[in-house]
Amino acid sequence: MMNTKTAKLYTIVFLVFGTGVLYLLNRFLSPYHMQIINLIGINIILVVSLNLSNGFCGIFSLGHAGFMAVGAYVTAILTIPAAKKFILLPQLPGWLASLQLPFLFALLLGGLVASICALVIGYPVLRLRGHYLSVATLGFLVIIQVFITQMDGLTRGARGLNGLESFTNVWWIWFGVILTIYIVAKVIHSAYGRGMIAVKEDELAAECLGVNLTSHKLLAFCLSAFFAGIGGALWGHLITVITPGSFSYSQTFNLVVMSVVGGMSSITGGVVGALLMTLIPELLRNLESGITLWGINLPPLYGLSQIILAIALILVILFRPNGLLGRLEFSWTRLQIKSLFRKGGDTTH
Amino acid sequence: MKKFLVPFMLIALLFAFNAFAETPPIKIGAIFNLTGDQSSLDAPSLNGLNLAAKEINAAGGVLGRKIQVVSLDGKTDQAVSTNAALKLINVEKVVAIAGFSDSNYALAAGPIAQKAKIPFITTGATLPTMPDQVGDYFFMTPYGDNTQAYVGAEFASKDLKAKTAYVLKDAAMDFTINLAAYFEERFKKINGKDAIVLEDTFKTGDQDFSAQVNRLKALTKKPDLLYISSGPSECGIIVKQIRAAGINTPVISGDGFDTPLLIELGGKGANIDTYFTTHASLTSEEPKVKKFVQAYKSQFKTAPENAFAALGYDTMYLIADAIKRAKSANPSAIRIALAKTKDFKAVTGTITYPANSRVPLKSVAVLKVVDGQFKFVKSVTP
Repeated sequence: MMNTKTAKLYTIVFLVFGTGVLYLLNRFLSPYHMQIINLIGINIILVVSLNLSNGFCGIFSLGHAGFMAVGAYVTAILTIPAAKKFILLPQLPGWLASLQLPFLFALLLGGLVASICALVIGYPVLRLRGHYLSVATLGFLVIIQVFITQMDGLTRGARGLNGLESFTNVWWIWFGVILTIYIVAKVIHSAYGRGMIAVKEDELAAECLGVNLTSHKLLAFCLSAFFAGIGGALWGHLITVITPGSFSYSQTFNLVVMSVVGGMSSITGGVVGALLMTLIPELLRNLESGITLWGINLPPLYGLSQIILAIALILVILFRPNGLLGRLEFSWTRLQIKSLFRKGGDTTH
Repeated sequence: MKKFLVPFMLIALLFAFNAFAETPPIKIGAIFNLTGDQSSLDAPSLNGLNLAAKEINAAGGVLGRKIQVVSLDGKTDQAVSTNAALKLINVEKVVAIAGFSDSNYALAAGPIAQKAKIPFITTGATLPTMPDQVGDYFFMTPYGDNTQAYVGAEFASKDLKAKTAYVLKDAAMDFTINLAAYFEERFKKINGKDAIVLEDTFKTGDQDFSAQVNRLKALTKKPDLLYISSGPSECGIIVKQIRAAGINTPVISGDGFDTPLLIELGGKGANIDTYFTTHASLTSEEPKVKKFVQAYKSQFKTAPENAFAALGYDTMYLIADAIKRAKSANPSAIRIALAKTKDFKAVTGTITYPANSRVPLKSVAVLKVVDGQFKFVKSVTP
């Protein structure tokens, strides 16, 4: 057995090594490949935070894209230079029109406003269970969509905000990834996190043991929304255009699919799901455009990648209903356990 | 691993042979939303673009080189569209990119091309402020919405003798909001400040317009004209409900009405009395248009779906023309040549980029619904 000290050392070595690799990739890879690496990072932030509420605490939220939208819009409005704001959003109230914050503060505020939204809607909604709760969070997504579309003076309505500053780069994203994983892991392994898992397993039993349902659920929901807000803001300043349509049902379902494929009740599962479901559609794209081999033209088949992904999703649901990783979690100690596995066997995780 | 290595290398070799078989083609990138909401506009555009490339290659290519269109699907998703732009530029090494019929996607992909100094020509997005927002590598094949709205306002005032107008706009689309604003601006300039009797709104996806129709009927000062700024999905329903309420005032709109849905849902009787401005009349007797429609029919076994097919076709020829004049397939040289495009004869009119503007000065076609068909009324060059 490896002790926690060595595990910590491994983690630090891994982080330093990872930073070096990212630096080299950033230096030598083309912007296209970097964009994919960055999108993987953003999706990891989003899916791991989604897993906190959906997987660990049993709040099956479909409102994640709504929180992304809140974070993205708040951050965008706070960082657009005053001169540009005057043209883009002439109806903005005076104090907001002249306000321009550094990206970091705007990002944190974006996350904060998203989690305040989560608090406001979470308090009444989290009394619901199962499907009812999911539908209620979907309702939140609809409200946010309508709100953004209607508040023309604040958000430019359905036309969206374009020409955002491209603040987001590989460092913002991957620092965000590390922070998200660290905080979510810390929460899960705290007494509070155990309480959340207990809530998911059996609300009644958890309550009998003295777990405060409301506060546990609210914390998971708000924290999840905070990172969704951050993820949304990073996304917005990477793509540089945000419209209400950017944060639609399909965005929510994409994230849910990533989470389900990787494993909802596992941080590692979230990472794996985000990685696979971002990478595979990009790779499948090469098939879509049609290839010429030996003079035979394979015709372009647009939409093929969506079909393949849908089939893959069905197969995962059929054969690994808990996701590829189930509840397995990566850890340095497990690596050792695994190597011992063949001799004896260890079924705990 | 080893057993995969040999076949893999063989395949790689085949690819390599393919690549070196002839003089390298000029690669033109295309990003269209071939799946999702936008596909009814974008798919015909790509067809038009491919058709033009085929014709150019059949005639010997450009500068002795063939044109190869590398097309990626934007999936009606901004992130996917930016990935596609990055891939075309960095992996496929295209010399120019064409694509999109909507500003939301053109504004996501355009800045990437601008940063990499690759010309980006939008085939169908009509927001006239885009080239200034993105930069000097961003060009438009269609006219800007201001042009078609101005033509609409002038046609209404002069040809239809309208003095007052009612405006109904879709408040959920950039395109319809701008179109209505430009129309009102010009209409007021011609007919005075009070020429707009009422401006009403609806939202994309609305099906019941009785509230709007009632407000229109309740007006004490009856308008001479109805300007309906809507997208393709609602235009037919609106016209039908207005006519069903017994209002027979002429209707005019922009290229959002250039869809078979207008007749399918709006009706084809004489009382429909509907005009719209668009990029080209595909029923025109002009030889260039006829040739395009025929070629499209024989290639895709269907008549061009809408003017966006023609815009895609024109964009390919526009790029080829710029490469020819630049005598080089270098992206910067193409940009300079594109900016100097003058009197370029295209299916959708004559394209000239005025100095320091990348929105073309182009003729606008005015069409009218007659007996279930779009009949050409006149072509206006502003």
